[in-house]
Amino acid sequence: MVPLSAYVAVSAVLFIIGLLGVLIRRNFIIVLMSVEIMLNAANINLVAFSYYLESMAGQLVALFIIAIAAGEAAIGLAIIIVVFRGKISTNVDEMNLLKW
Amino acid sequence: MSGFDLLSEYLTHYFPILFFVVIALFFGIWSLVVSYLVQPKYPEPEKLTTYECGSEPFSDARMPFPVRYYIFAMLFVIFDIEVIFLYPWAVVFTKIELIGLIEMLVFIGLFLVAYVYAWRKGALEWD
Amino acid sequence: MEQAFFFYFAFVIAATSVLVVALRNPIYSTLALLVMFFHVAGLYVTLHAEFLAAVQIIVYAGAILVLYLFVVMLLNLKQDVRYHRQWPMAAAVGATLVIEAIILTAMKGSTTPAAATDTETAIGGAGNTEAIGDVLYTTYLFPFEVASLILLVAMIGAIVLAKKDIGEREA
Repeated sequence: MVPLSAYVAVSAVLFIIGLLGVLIRRNFIIVLMSVEIMLNAANINLVAFSYYLESMAGQLVALFIIAIAAGEAAIGLAIIIVVFRGKISTNVDEMNLLKW
Repeated sequence: MSGFDLLSEYLTHYFPILFFVVIALFFGIWSLVVSYLVQPKYPEPEKLTTYECGSEPFSDARMPFPVRYYIFAMLFVIFDIEVIFLYPWAVVFTKIELIGLIEMLVFIGLFLVAYVYAWRKGALEWD
Repeated sequence: MEQAFFFYFAFVIAATSVLVVALRNPIYSTLALLVMFFHVAGLYVTLHAEFLAAVQIIVYAGAILVLYLFVVMLLNLKQDVRYHRQWPMAAAVGATLVIEAIILTAMKGSTTPAAATDTETAIGGAGNTEAIGDVLYTTYLFPFEVASLILLVAMIGAIVLAKKDIGEREA
């Protein structure tokens, strides 16, 4: 029997890796992929608790997260395309027009 | 029967999938290895160049795609999500009856708005 | 056997997510992400969430990842230049969270799992999809409609952003 803490540990490690990806990568697409990794970490956590607490709520929230992640990917990648058209770059450091 | 036995029994239902994955991997690796072992090898500089219908290759093979492909992929993702929500609805449809039908009609109606918008905006046309 | 599956999935998930973050060619990162999504689906199967495992493969691996791959090829990205300069901050955040994870894993006593009871396996056997549908279309009715509204807005926003040239031509 795999304990709940093992699943939580996998989820935590996955979330840390995603967060590091957001912090250290400069490519906007990889940053978005790291956000997807973090969403997956949250999903693993929710599904694990849903199984061990014998409640369907966690799985449903995970389902909604997957649906929202699809919308997030559609919008995020459209923004990348728009920025790339104007600047020919996906480096997050160069997107500083609104920086004051 | 302890929880462990139940879970083990449950996981054995997935052996066909495991079997399938193993066969798929084996098939891929086997094809590559055999074709590598059987092929005649007489490499020449001319043969090793990129084949492009007889003419000299003039640019990188990784040319940028048009943005149109993105629109279609995006539409596919959004309507894929719609279908995902239809599966559990279809399974429990007899239980939730009219109210379930109405809420699914609202759901599909909202997607229909998106579909009409995409249509009117010309996102479904190739040119 | 079940523990072996869990450790296999957990190890591959961790390894491929590190590859996603570390590889410099975005196409390789995307393919590593694909492998990660499949193994997360496997982890869902060990948790009796078959419907979510299928959704994970259909939506994440089948749709969202195709979108990412298209954009990577659309923009024709080459190798990434180098990593960000925020190394110290990233290291600090990472170290804190790793310590937290270790403490969490070490605290096994407080999180003794409830053994899978007969009802739980009955749900797994009779249909996880049915169980989800039961709750989704009664208790979670409002979030369900809101999700469709969000997807509508996402779709319109993406079309407005990416389809700028065509809208201008028609006007």
